[in-house]
Amino acid sequence: MDFEKLTGTNGFVLLDGAMGTLIQKSGAEYRHSPETLNITEPDLIASFHRAYIEAGSQIIYANTFGANAYKLADSGFSVEEIIRAGVRNAKSAAEGRALVALDVGPIGMLLEPAGSLRFDEAYDYFKQQIIAGQDADLIVLETMTDLYELKAAVLAAKENCDKPILATMTFERDGRTFTGVSPAAAALTLSGLGVDALGVNCSLGPDELEGVVAELTRFTDLPLIVKANAGLPDPNSNEYNISPKRFAECVSELLKYGVRYVGGCCGTTPEYISELKAMLADRSYVPVPKEAGACVCSASTVVEIDRPRIIGERINPTGKKAFQQALVNDDLDYILTQALSQVEGGAEILDVNVGHPEIDEARMMVRALTSIQSVCDAPLQIDSTKPAVLEAGLRRYNGKPIVNSVNGEEKSLASVLPLVKKYGAAVVGLTLDENGIPKTAEGRFAIAKRIVERAEALGIDRREVFIDCLTLTVSAEQDACRETLRALHRVKTELGCRTCLGVSNISFGLPNRELVNSTFLTMALEEGLDLPIMNPNLPAMTGAVRAYRVLAGFDKNSLDFIAAYNDTKPSAPKAEKTVDLTSAVYRGLKNEGAAVTEQLLQSRDAMEIVNELLIPALDKVGEDFEKGRIFLPQLIQSANAAQECFEVIKRHLNASGKGEVSKGKIILATVKGDIHDIGKNIVKVLLDNYGYTVVDLGKDVDPQLIVDTAVSRGITVIGLSALMTTTLKSMEDTISLIRRTPELQNPDGTSKCVVFVGGAVLTREYAMKIGADYYCRDAKESVDAAKRVFG
Amino acid sequence: MTLPEKLDRGEAIRYLGGAGIELTDEMNALIDDCERELLSVIAPKYRCITVALPCEEIMRGEDIRRHLEGCDRAVMLCATLGAQADRLIRIAQVSDMARAVVLDSLASVAIEQVCRMIDEMIAAENPGEYLTFRFSPGYGDYPIELQKTFLTMLDAPRRIGLSMNESCLLIPAKSVTAVAGLSKEPIPKRKRGCAVCSLKNTCRYRRNGEHCGF
Repeated sequence: MDFEKLTGTNGFVLLDGAMGTLIQKSGAEYRHSPETLNITEPDLIASFHRAYIEAGSQIIYANTFGANAYKLADSGFSVEEIIRAGVRNAKSAAEGRALVALDVGPIGMLLEPAGSLRFDEAYDYFKQQIIAGQDADLIVLETMTDLYELKAAVLAAKENCDKPILATMTFERDGRTFTGVSPAAAALTLSGLGVDALGVNCSLGPDELEGVVAELTRFTDLPLIVKANAGLPDPNSNEYNISPKRFAECVSELLKYGVRYVGGCCGTTPEYISELKAMLADRSYVPVPKEAGACVCSASTVVEIDRPRIIGERINPTGKKAFQQALVNDDLDYILTQALSQVEGGAEILDVNVGHPEIDEARMMVRALTSIQSVCDAPLQIDSTKPAVLEAGLRRYNGKPIVNSVNGEEKSLASVLPLVKKYGAAVVGLTLDENGIPKTAEGRFAIAKRIVERAEALGIDRREVFIDCLTLTVSAEQDACRETLRALHRVKTELGCRTCLGVSNISFGLPNRELVNSTFLTMALEEGLDLPIMNPNLPAMTGAVRAYRVLAGFDKNSLDFIAAYNDTKPSAPKAEKTVDLTSAVYRGLKNEGAAVTEQLLQSRDAMEIVNELLIPALDKVGEDFEKGRIFLPQLIQSANAAQECFEVIKRHLNASGKGEVSKGKIILATVKGDIHDIGKNIVKVLLDNYGYTVVDLGKDVDPQLIVDTAVSRGITVIGLSALMTTTLKSMEDTISLIRRTPELQNPDGTSKCVVFVGGAVLTREYAMKIGADYYCRDAKESVDAAKRVFG
Repeated sequence: MTLPEKLDRGEAIRYLGGAGIELTDEMNALIDDCERELLSVIAPKYRCITVALPCEEIMRGEDIRRHLEGCDRAVMLCATLGAQADRLIRIAQVSDMARAVVLDSLASVAIEQVCRMIDEMIAAENPGEYLTFRFSPGYGDYPIELQKTFLTMLDAPRRIGLSMNESCLLIPAKSVTAVAGLSKEPIPKRKRGCAVCSLKNTCRYRRNGEHCGF
């Protein structure tokens, strides 16, 4: 029996019901986890499988759900022993009457960014299970709540076997998983990754799943799986409240959404499977094609390209000194701030380009994508000229991204399109090739056609190839604008592709660029532009797209437009004219502080303002905080306001040629194992504001990374935080490694490094005992420590 | 479960630095705004199970034995504000750190309020019995490693989306696991006391001669 021939006359595939429920009912005792019964009670487990097969199950799930190295750690058995026994039991029960699935559940630890398990570690857990389960007929990945973890599992399955893959997630009553994954995002991402069927298991009863199933089907062509619970458990008796008959009735209501695989989860028994079989007898499977067009997504947010959508262009270091410096410094805050402000401005998708000759672009791309995804829901566009960077990003992106870009050159087509297919992305196709950019619309159209044909040959939907007909500078070649727009029109109408276009290039060398850009944008939209790549923080540009969506009839009843411009928020209080610098800083008024600083610079020396006004104001705030007269957020606001003033002064000094140097460089990290990093982040903001350069290594940081960074960057001041008693040991280990590293020692063997430490449970005595130089009770004391170190 | 419309403002202010500090209009407005935002994104979830005592899986160390003395059953519970609270605080740490600090404090208040509501429910479901206060892994000599036992027994990852990392830190962060004893006899009222608290050496309140209230 094989997977393709499984489907009976009516086209449905009957799965099994719960294993755990049968184990519980049998009263079988196990020491560690139910999977150990595979070895201690093989006949019992086989008898449960047999009961399901006799009830009609065509696919049975081996008793391997939690058989991963993390959960089995102190079970006394290896993953291989448990899984092989589990598959063997199922095979012996099946005797060729049913297929046996290797059942793979969540690892039991959360992945980054919410948790601390790394993607590659998750992949390795799954890989071990997949290899151990090589005798199974197919792979089932189920009860997942994190799309990222599920992606690691799908990749592990795809790359380590060629069995069919069924993937199901668990959704809550609000229609999302615990981690916030929407059914639409799950359907898009899993379809892209090439699973054979997808759907929902566990969660709720089948009576409450219609919304989830209806949404799944809208975003995939694949057959759906429904393996629901038998309703809800009674808190006291733990009995589930939906009868087998009613269960089958509810499932029958879901079949119209393209459900092909049905079975049961918690609370279901062979009786439920019998009822399902009876219900399916006079029904037949009807595939339901995907209704949505081109879409991209993060784990929580889907953007359908059914109207012009704004791609924010600003995460790109080209021509931006501050960004380039941030990349060299490994400073992700710059990127995160850009991401949030573009979304605030109206961007719906963000382009991410971190190309810079002095850095490891693939590593930075992964860091940028994962960090942005930890704070921002917008889908991302992975932008690089290097296939290795694209692949690194594609692998670690959570959701369905866009690849920017492929072009008509053979080398590009051959290296980029297979990646797009493997990871299920959409792709930008540039209409240029080895001969450069064709002058005419016809030349560009021909390249577009070539790209689309090559993509389709690999099974990539042409609607997910976004053709970029390339904007040239109108001041250099005036006719080129027409050619771009003509090409765009032809691509849209004749090829049926979505189109994208970087808009800002058009106006190089002209005054009033924004006017030229927004006019060009409007023209392009009318020719069929779907995805302008632009600066969303320019109101005229974003406004042009929003207005176009109203005028072209996309924005029904102008709802989005009104929401964007009918500002009901109270307007920000007007800058107070009379405020002086000291009170602006003291009260945390950023804009006022900056304005007053500008004024003062006209009459007073910059350093005089710093030394006589700003520093004393900050000192007063610090003192008040220490004495318990103001709240911590007020200290932070004051420091922010002071930084705003420093920025004004810095610009002034740069303009007048008196360069300015950082007061000193400091590494900050929350130690290995600890994920509570708000304290460290507060320290960072303050140190920043006081003029120090902070290299922030984040949370859960390996001691070796801290040492390596100190050595490679020549930084000898290191701040460490640990919030929990359990992670203080990690802090001690880190300090010990710092002290032992020869590169961080003076010729006489003493340490070059100054280490300051802080954290809620840390005491001065303990800090000294583990070899720290400074104990900082709060963020303010960290600044004091820095002042003492750097003078 | 639904949260009350208002969070305990006094407690939030104590987390933020103490009741003695003058609350400016700006600070008040910031707290209001953060409270609104937090309450709009969180969806607290919890689960309780009742176990007969002695329950060897959870009896480790002296403190828990003393704590459950005289009880014949205990309620184990887990509760979380959910992943969205963590995310909100994470975003604020990028865009506005002052706000992040306020959100963080309010979220701590919120999870404690959730736990108090659960206490009340437990009390209502067990009329005529007396409930000890909640005792959590990490208090006193009660090992933090028991977090894994609590999560497994409560089926917390699957039921409410609560898990932990290798250092036994709960994820999402604004979450609680605890056990409270049920007794037929009145339990002498006492404060949780500082002796079992892991913050006893660094606590702000103690420094100022105050008590956190637990």
